[in-house]
Amino acid sequence: MARILVADDSETILLLLRTRLEMEGHEVETASDGEDVVTAVLRDPGSHDLLLLDAMMPRKSGLDALRELRENGVETPALIVSAHTDGGNGAAHSDLTIAAYIPKPIDFDRLFAKIAELTGG
Amino acid sequence: MLTGLAVVGVARFLQQRQDFENATARSYQREIEARNDLAAGRQPAIARTTIESQQRQRQVLRNEISDETRDTALLVGAGLIAGLTGAALLFTGLISSMRRPLEDLVEASGRLASGDLDVRVKVGGLSETATLGGAFNEMAEELQRRAGERDQLERMKDEFVLTASHELRSPLTSVQGFAELLLLERERLSPRQAETVEVILDNTRHLVRLLNDLLDLARSDAGRLTIRPEPTGAASLIEEAARTMRAQLDARGQELRLQVDADLPEVEADRDRIRQVLVNLLTNANEYCPQGAQIEVKARRAGAEVEIDVIDNGPGIPAEQLEHIFERFTRGDAGETQRVGGTGLGLAISKSLIELHGGAIGAESNPGSGSTFRIRLPAIAHERAEAI
Repeated sequence: MARILVADDSETILLLLRTRLEMEGHEVETASDGEDVVTAVLRDPGSHDLLLLDAMMPRKSGLDALRELRENGVETPALIVSAHTDGGNGAAHSDLTIAAYIPKPIDFDRLFAKIAELTGG
Repeated sequence: MLTGLAVVGVARFLQQRQDFENATARSYQREIEARNDLAAGRQPAIARTTIESQQRQRQVLRNEISDETRDTALLVGAGLIAGLTGAALLFTGLISSMRRPLEDLVEASGRLASGDLDVRVKVGGLSETATLGGAFNEMAEELQRRAGERDQLERMKDEFVLTASHELRSPLTSVQGFAELLLLERERLSPRQAETVEVILDNTRHLVRLLNDLLDLARSDAGRLTIRPEPTGAASLIEEAARTMRAQLDARGQELRLQVDADLPEVEADRDRIRQVLVNLLTNANEYCPQGAQIEVKARRAGAEVEIDVIDNGPGIPAEQLEHIFERFTRGDAGETQRVGGTGLGLAISKSLIELHGGAIGAESNPGSGSTFRIRLPAIAHERAEAI
């Protein structure tokens, strides 16, 4: 199963995501803002199969963290969780190669299907 | 002044006339006295001379008065003409000094009426037109201020709805997520606990729908409701909507039948948004129809359009409600026994969305025997060419 780095500034959402993803058999590492994401990924690039990042977080947003990672040559597939129902402005972030926007509240069936698609089942 | 001259002229004329009449009367008096002397034979030579001289004097007087009358008439005439000319000039000046500012005001009013709140007039001219211009500018200023306040309030409202919707979404994600988590372990819950969790979940989903609807409405008001159309087969959208609704329909023992023509042309559609409209129509049918009702979705080509009908055999909609059914916060009367979780916004949003696609949505109903909601979407051009 996949090694997933999950970032959200809400502890309850992190707990929810960790629980559901682990129930699906994934290995989950968590971060509470974009800074932590960048540190965790750059410490050992390639150690994650997927990034699941909240778009809006204090200190550094998921989008800014992803931009920094892409600039550092990190190509790990990324899903952006967004409270905006229009999925943020997709066209504005086309350079970040975002695999999909996951709207809140999270439809876990769709999320799991997307993860399976991105990590080869 | 010229009128004064005319008055003086007329007065002088009257005085001269009086003098003339007095002098003439005196002359006649002398002539009569001379004629009496002549008749009596007193100094006849002097009497004759007097008579002749008085007659000559009266002729002179008549000539004089005639000249005086002509001069006075000329003077009065000239005075009147000069007065009229002066008055005409004065009025022309007055009118032109009023006309310009009035024309400006008329033009500015027209622009203000057509929504140009920046328009102002130059204040000047006569005091009346200046006052009018000043009042106009004050009015325009006030209108602009109020429009500004209204726009600011609208923006604050939109911003509030966007922020509230965003901020509420995270806690709702937690509530819905954990409720779902509990239901995943349903076998460890008592039936009562499971039912309780389902109630939490139902209400959370309702809140999410309400939030989404409010958000769409705020976007629609702000002109920011957008679609991302792509060539799409309506059949797959109908199937997806049906799949989304399956559980709710089953829960009420309602049967859903799909009848989609095989040669259905593609439409240019935002898949999420058209699916949203279809789910909204099916949700309404699900909630307003009784247990065991029959619901049908039919799709067919109709000229250059694709027509999708959502038909139910439920209680129908009374004519007076049908009229307003696409307006905001209009909700059907579902009767006391039914649980209807709508927001009263779904159809208003559906209408906006279908119209953004260049299509139309309408409803027909026979109270007592059901309702039909019809969506019409333009078929894609090359498909349309084939249809001809």
